[in-house]
Amino acid sequence: MFNETVLKEIDEIRVKYPDRKSALLPSLYIAQREFGWLSQEALLCVAKTLNLPETEVRGAASFYSMYRHKPAGRNLIQLCTNVSCMVLGAERLADFISRKYGVQPGGTSQDGRFSLVIMECIGACGTAPAMLVNTDFHDSLTEKRIEEILEKYK
Amino acid sequence: MITLTINEKEITLDKPVTVLEAAKLAGIKIPTLCYHEALKPYGGCRLCVVEVERMPRLQTSCTLMSADGMVVKTESEAISKARRGILEFLLINHPLDCPYCDKAGECELQDMVNKYGASAGRYKEEKRKVPESHKDQILARNMERCIVCTRCVRMCGDVQGASAISIIGRGNRSRMEPFSSAAFNCEYCGNCLTVCPVGAILSRLYIHSFRPWQLDKEVETVCSYCGVGCSFVAQVRDDSIKRVIPRFDLGLNKGLLCSRGRFGYEYISSPERLKTPLVRKHGKLEESTWSEALSVVAERLGHIKKTHGGSSIAGIASPRCCNEDNYVFQKFMRTVCGSNNIDSISRTGFAAAQKYFEDLLGQGITANMIDGLKNSDAILILGGDPTAINPVLGLSIREASGRGAKILVLGNAKGLERFKTLHIMPEVFKEADTLESLLIGIYNARGTRGEKPAIDHGIKSLAGKTGARTAVPEFDELMMTLLESKSASIVFGPDLVQRTDGHRSLFAVSGLTYLLEARLYLLSEKPNEQGVVDTGCVPDMLPGGRPLNVYDFRRKFEEAWKGPVPAEDGLTLFEIIENAGAGKIKAMYIMGENPVFNLPGGPYIKNKLQSLDLLVVQDLFLTETAEIADVVLPALGWSERTGTYTNLERRVQLQRKTVETLHGMEDWRIISEVSGRMGCKMSYTEVRDIMEEMAGVSPLYRDITYQEIGKGNCLWPYHGEPLRGEMKTVPAAADIEREHREDFYLSVEKPLFHSGTLSGKSPALMKIYPGPVLRVGASAAKKAGLKEGDKVQFFTQTGSREAVVSIEESIRDNRVYYSNNFKGSGALGLMTFTIDEVTKAPGLEGCEVKIKKL
Amino acid sequence: MEKILLKNIDNPNSAGINEYIKAGGYQGLSKALGLQPKDVLEEVKKSGLRGRGGAGFPVGMKWSFALADPKFPKYLICNADEGEPGTFKDRPILEKNPHLLIEGMVISGYTLGSEYGYIYLRGEYPLAKDILNRAINEAREKNYLGDNILGKGIKFHLVVYQGAGAYICGEETALIESIEGKKGQPRNKPPFPVNSGAWALPTIVNNVETLSNVPYIVTIGGEAYSKIGSKDCPGPKLFSVSGCVEKPGVYELPMGTSLKDIIFRHAGGIKGGKKLKAVIPGGISTPVLPADGIDCAMDFVAMPKAGSMLGSGAVIVMDESVCMVRVTYRALKFFEHESCGKCVPCREGTDWLRKILERIENGKGRDGDIELLSDVAANIAGKTFCPLGDGAAGVINGMLKHFRNEFEEHIKNAECIFS
Ligand SMILES: Cc1cc2nc3c(=O)[nH]c(=O)nc-3n(C[C@H](O)[C@H](O)[C@H](O)COP(=O)(O)O)c2cc1C
Ligand code: SF4
Ligand code: FES
Repeated sequence: MFNETVLKEIDEIRVKYPDRKSALLPSLYIAQREFGWLSQEALLCVAKTLNLPETEVRGAASFYSMYRHKPAGRNLIQLCTNVSCMVLGAERLADFISRKYGVQPGGTSQDGRFSLVIMECIGACGTAPAMLVNTDFHDSLTEKRIEEILEKYK
Repeated sequence: MITLTINEKEITLDKPVTVLEAAKLAGIKIPTLCYHEALKPYGGCRLCVVEVERMPRLQTSCTLMSADGMVVKTESEAISKARRGILEFLLINHPLDCPYCDKAGECELQDMVNKYGASAGRYKEEKRKVPESHKDQILARNMERCIVCTRCVRMCGDVQGASAISIIGRGNRSRMEPFSSAAFNCEYCGNCLTVCPVGAILSRLYIHSFRPWQLDKEVETVCSYCGVGCSFVAQVRDDSIKRVIPRFDLGLNKGLLCSRGRFGYEYISSPERLKTPLVRKHGKLEESTWSEALSVVAERLGHIKKTHGGSSIAGIASPRCCNEDNYVFQKFMRTVCGSNNIDSISRTGFAAAQKYFEDLLGQGITANMIDGLKNSDAILILGGDPTAINPVLGLSIREASGRGAKILVLGNAKGLERFKTLHIMPEVFKEADTLESLLIGIYNARGTRGEKPAIDHGIKSLAGKTGARTAVPEFDELMMTLLESKSASIVFGPDLVQRTDGHRSLFAVSGLTYLLEARLYLLSEKPNEQGVVDTGCVPDMLPGGRPLNVYDFRRKFEEAWKGPVPAEDGLTLFEIIENAGAGKIKAMYIMGENPVFNLPGGPYIKNKLQSLDLLVVQDLFLTETAEIADVVLPALGWSERTGTYTNLERRVQLQRKTVETLHGMEDWRIISEVSGRMGCKMSYTEVRDIMEEMAGVSPLYRDITYQEIGKGNCLWPYHGEPLRGEMKTVPAAADIEREHREDFYLSVEKPLFHSGTLSGKSPALMKIYPGPVLRVGASAAKKAGLKEGDKVQFFTQTGSREAVVSIEESIRDNRVYYSNNFKGSGALGLMTFTIDEVTKAPGLEGCEVKIKKL
Repeated sequence: MEKILLKNIDNPNSAGINEYIKAGGYQGLSKALGLQPKDVLEEVKKSGLRGRGGAGFPVGMKWSFALADPKFPKYLICNADEGEPGTFKDRPILEKNPHLLIEGMVISGYTLGSEYGYIYLRGEYPLAKDILNRAINEAREKNYLGDNILGKGIKFHLVVYQGAGAYICGEETALIESIEGKKGQPRNKPPFPVNSGAWALPTIVNNVETLSNVPYIVTIGGEAYSKIGSKDCPGPKLFSVSGCVEKPGVYELPMGTSLKDIIFRHAGGIKGGKKLKAVIPGGISTPVLPADGIDCAMDFVAMPKAGSMLGSGAVIVMDESVCMVRVTYRALKFFEHESCGKCVPCREGTDWLRKILERIENGKGRDGDIELLSDVAANIAGKTFCPLGDGAAGVINGMLKHFRNEFEEHIKNAECIFS
């Protein structure tokens, strides 16, 4: 079960909406923060806290792609390959990351340092190609820039 | 009034419905897949598209509301192309395994493709591959076949209220799954099975065992488990029931069933069924013949009657037997044996409560339609979990909640956890206090109605008593909600009867029903508790609720039955038992009941029954009671014979014979055989004759016929009239003061998946719930240091059991629950009891328990 | 043209409330609160403002529908889901000019009689979330938000709701489902959100850019505003220009600016002096235009005539080196990935199209594939629950219309000539 601080945090979210169910998406983010990913246990905690059917919680969680449904590495690389990024070579960059850091799209590197997710547009097309590492935006990517950037994420 | 045109046909509607429904009314069929009459419109499959004038795109008729002047076409070239396109899409990932699939022959997709065709073979890519999951013991899940119509999910969530499955994933990765992705761990109502249009969810009870076209026959009948009495169709092949399927146009359950009804039918073909009569010889039960056994019973009963008088014989009837059985049984007891000592196990709950309520509020007070519950704006639930005791009635409560009704729960009720508005948890021994304070509160706010002097007076004197009764924290809110309600209902379960001061709660509930003008529903665990009462299997009433002690009534029956009926009231259930052996009861005739296991104080009861001169038991199985009988007579069960049942709404329903059996005899037939051998020939050749007689003598069933019953419309008050007057004074008994002493109190679990010990003979139900566990509330467990899975031994004053602990969030107090459904380990056997002087029901609430970790 | 929406954003502190006020911010709000709500509505109607989220629905009309519904409370939701690939125009407002949006929402809330506003922000904008929350706090402290706005007894509260990665949540009914804590699958219409939206109450959903126009409309008046941009669709418009151009970025230009000008005058022309091949003018869901088809005015009325749509105004530019089959394949991969799964044609159709395209791109195309693509697209178009499926079909139709030869060559040569 969540600890008191987390329960309080969720309670504060709850009161912002006319219906407690609205706290579901935010609570899932919190559970993801607490557990690293949305394990069964994490989903159960959310279901219990919000008194929602567990299956409904899992169903909703599974719909959204920013929730992690399996354990992830320490750093999450979300690389966009949608058209604007693609025409500027994003797909090659994806291959580069895969090769260089030993992480396949949708997977995690052996050392647990990086997980890689291929994203649909992340709204950085003006400075494409772009990626998010954890919550930081990085854009105008080249292989070299990626090396420099990822250097900072251990 | 709405007038629209569909396919050039003008249709007039008096209320707005969807175009699809309007077309259906006009006899125009539009193909659908995601639509289901019991579910909210979804609009996902897009097969039901139609053309509507002045609307640019094709419209889905299942979601489009009809409007005045609308002009609709349901067939056209464009529509056909769209439908073919949809079917092609559905088939690209759907396996072509119809020859193997159980659904073939009743698959909606298969039928549709046959009708509309799909441009074949254009899809060259790989199909979705998902192995069939058999990780659940009951349900198989084949996600290759799933077309994501979400009918199962909507059924499970919106109708059943279990929300145990969901669509996991998004887009074409969508698949139906239970939370665990393996076992369903749900209420196992199986209603998802009914609505799945393809072979994606299948029951493992009959998977690969037959094809729909190989069935020999289908019989419309009624479930045998609880007092709801759901209808379904039993499908038979080679004289065995292959499956039961509910139909949305059949019965009060409208297409829904619970786990017991859907998966529990197999007990009937259990190999443990009794095959021949047994007679005790030299202390041992030995196989015998019918003629020997029947003669032994007749002879010995006759002898006892002669030596000790008719009142030394007692009969226990059964809420599992049909009206005809029970009617013949009490007639036999009264006229042939000469005894009014007739009662049934319903005394411990339903019958006791109903008698009390009817005495105060008038006959028929509990005859309310289950369907009406959903229109209540507040429902007060007490004395048990309706969603487990009467599951399909429970669904109406959940539906009411969905419509905004306030669900007010007093006590533990797991199935309403997510539906309740307010939960009140009086301590052990404090339930009656709480209800009385509630009554006084309502009275203070509203006054009495002045219509029923006995209750008016009772309420006033209650209010006048000094010293306020216990109030619980949510009390004010509870009172306000009830006062504001315009159409309140009260759902009353058996647990509150089983209290030493049960009559106090009964009075409080009577008062509440009266002041709030509420509808009162009485939960009924067994299928014919109402029938047992109505057919006269009570010590003080003749069939139809006629008081025995009124000479005029008695005389009419004596005339019809051509024999004398003893004048004085008989003994109630526990009085019979108390007097067994050493007392004045020498012989007991038990039809379809197992008191040794099903009544509290098992060892005591066993002892008493063993000291009888004669114990006769009719049953399907060699029960704990049958084991100590002198003669055991194998009876027929549900689906093996025809008969009527009266459900908790007082609807008489017809259970039809579905299969043939070689062993056993109908209960009524056994009794008339015994009767004949005792010199009183009964003239029934078939069961219908009995109902004809009842319709003639019992004012309650006046002129009722099987034909009418078969239609399901035989509702209270039938053709009868109110039969007995209300009480002038409220029966009372001295108050008992008790103290809360122990950490834990034992309660009998009433699980959703079992019913008595019968369900234990159904392999499917045993898979779902295989053996007893000790259910402990989360906070009580924490206090006592108990964890899920702990092995413990628990002790009551009279015995102990070993068990595994199961932590149950929904239990909010220090009651621990243990079931009475598994042979050799019942909870009731551990309990001692006191008798409520008013209701003559046993009080069970004070059973202290000590728990020792092993 | 003077910058209205992106005013001041070159100032590094533009997101702070003091800078915003210094530049004239919140004056529209003061003025609006001095008027009757119905007068503000009148101004918005007069302005001719159309929704900037993609559909171009007249804002004044949508607001009057919601006002006509007697149910209370009413909710105002800002659609900041900005998921249409190629679109990044709302982001500068959210990150650099958040008070403009807040001011717009407070005025809109006042006009609509709504006391609760929600900003549905896409999960991929974590920075914007922090900035918005900070801005909301600042605005509350200064009494531009809260229970007694500017001392006038007006109440409006604002909450940021973070999406979690689902393009379909940009569709307003899916967005509402999502904010209610469910899967973001579109709802059946009617009822429309203006009558039964979030929590079954009247709900107005407007795009970030749309709402950010409101303060200016109030400030200069609807009449004056309607003179900006094109006649049918007045006002300034943010264009996100990306792909093979010299100066990609967000450009604030009058509505109706020609596509050609956007690319060549404002965005500096094609990168590296290469030749223009194709332009997707309004985000990936809008049909592609060939190089010679870009002499068109970018607004909601003119673009359909030119064979595409304005959409979100996300101009994706492709030069001669770009393989159109690959672009189509990538686009369909997007639709397939983002299909919510509720309706059959979209769920199964986008998957099938993607698989065919993948094959063609990988040199495994077959005779008849092009006809198949077009027939499958036809079986999707007009039959799906929401416009997402139509978008996918539109992409196929546009590509086959203008670049059929590239598809044919892929099939004939059994390879992609661009890779
Ligand atoms: C598939 C789909 C995706 C959409 N995505 C967005 C979006 O990301 N942002 C947005 O503002 N509107 C989006 N819309 C449009 C919204 O449904 C809605 O029309 C808009 O928010 C209304 O605001 P407006 O009138 O201010 O444009 C989308 C619509 C569809 C059908
Ligand atoms: S609710 Fe009762 S009658 Fe209905 S299926 Fe279940 S046990 Fe049978
Ligand atoms: S039946 Fe209408 S869309 Fe499925």
